[in-house]
Amino acid sequence: MRVRAVLGSIFASTAVLVVGWQAGAVVLAPDATAAAQPEAASATSADGTGSSAESSQATAAPESATAPTVAPTAASDSDASAADSSAAAAPSVADGTFTGSTVDTRFGSVQVSVTIAGGAITDVTALKLTDHESRSVQISNRAAPLLREEVLAAQSADVSNVSGATYTTDAYLESLQAALDQAGF
Amino acid sequence: MRHVFPTMGTVASIELPDDHAHRLADLRAIFRATQARYSLFDVDSELSLIARGALDLTDSSDAMRETYLRALEWRTATAGLFSPHRPDGILDLNGIVKADAIEQAGAHLDAVGCDRWTINVGGDILVRGADDPWVIGIADPTDAQGLISSVSLRPPRRAVATSGSAQRGDHIWLGGDPGPARFVQVTVVADDIVTADVLATAIVAGGREALDDIADRWPIDVLAVDREGQILATPGLRPQPPAEVTRMAG
Repeated sequence: MRVRAVLGSIFASTAVLVVGWQAGAVVLAPDATAAAQPEAASATSADGTGSSAESSQATAAPESATAPTVAPTAASDSDASAADSSAAAAPSVADGTFTGSTVDTRFGSVQVSVTIAGGAITDVTALKLTDHESRSVQISNRAAPLLREEVLAAQSADVSNVSGATYTTDAYLESLQAALDQAGF
Repeated sequence: MRHVFPTMGTVASIELPDDHAHRLADLRAIFRATQARYSLFDVDSELSLIARGALDLTDSSDAMRETYLRALEWRTATAGLFSPHRPDGILDLNGIVKADAIEQAGAHLDAVGCDRWTINVGGDILVRGADDPWVIGIADPTDAQGLISSVSLRPPRRAVATSGSAQRGDHIWLGGDPGPARFVQVTVVADDIVTADVLATAIVAGGREALDDIADRWPIDVLAVDREGQILATPGLRPQPPAEVTRMAG
């Protein structure tokens, strides 16, 4: 539930940019506030005819929290001015990485960064995701490759037990577990 | 002090404070009773009677039917990756009864007020004691004396189970030809030992796709070793604390 909600708010902040683009305007309004549900944002982007002002109104977040707002960190001057005035139409979105402001939701603080290249979003990165237990929220618990050098240096002297695939009695005799057990007798 | 004895075709290693050493007899009785009921190597066990048709499951003990139900629930939860039904039709509950016995033994120690212990049966481990976290090594599937990683168990994480093809079959029945993505060893860290053991088995059976699915659906940490020796780890088992930047796409 929490993960879904966090994903939802990231989707919502992404939708802001998508809406902006399809309307042919840059929507990088620093003070945009929540005014619509995510469905509304989707509807606006679907017809692609909304003005940039409407698009900024479509900024949405679940639970009507203040929506993430986006300010350019690697944009050209013209884009910076577009950010100052959300009503002004800009020809296209410059390439670059845009970092949103931090938003507190009841699920924790959320901040995203969006990378644009060739007019398309190429990457969305969560910069800040913590929950109330101050433990990093794992948006995805997906396993990733680990280099052997990255693995914790596992010193057998520090280990109380060894977890391994089921030991036969014979295999046990050859195992590190047997050595640890002897040391613990 | 460490106490070691053979049970269920493998070896149990139990660490107890000296003032609780006399509890060992109770623990051995728990494992002995589990073996007597569920072993398919013991022709007189209740499960062996069922296997050869001498006893109907419907007439079996409450414990047998409860264990079977629990196994069926896990079969459903894992979309059949974990199953108590062998391909030859024999009911085999050994994929769950070892963890179940470990759980019973741990519950017994808790009930008698023992607050620091480890129970390791054939590489599946349950611990108690938060002040000084127990450090568990994860075996190197290619080196009986080696470790590929270690994990400090902090509550609520109390259980580590490893399944794989490096040792004996581990009650994992792979359908078809195992592809290159199959794992030779999967370690799951969970809050309880049955979850850890069953899901480690399911991930070995289901490969990478099952790993991604199961790691998202249960609060567990996973470290898997594939046929080429590559190690995959979920964020909780990576060497640094979860990175501040979590990549979403790209």
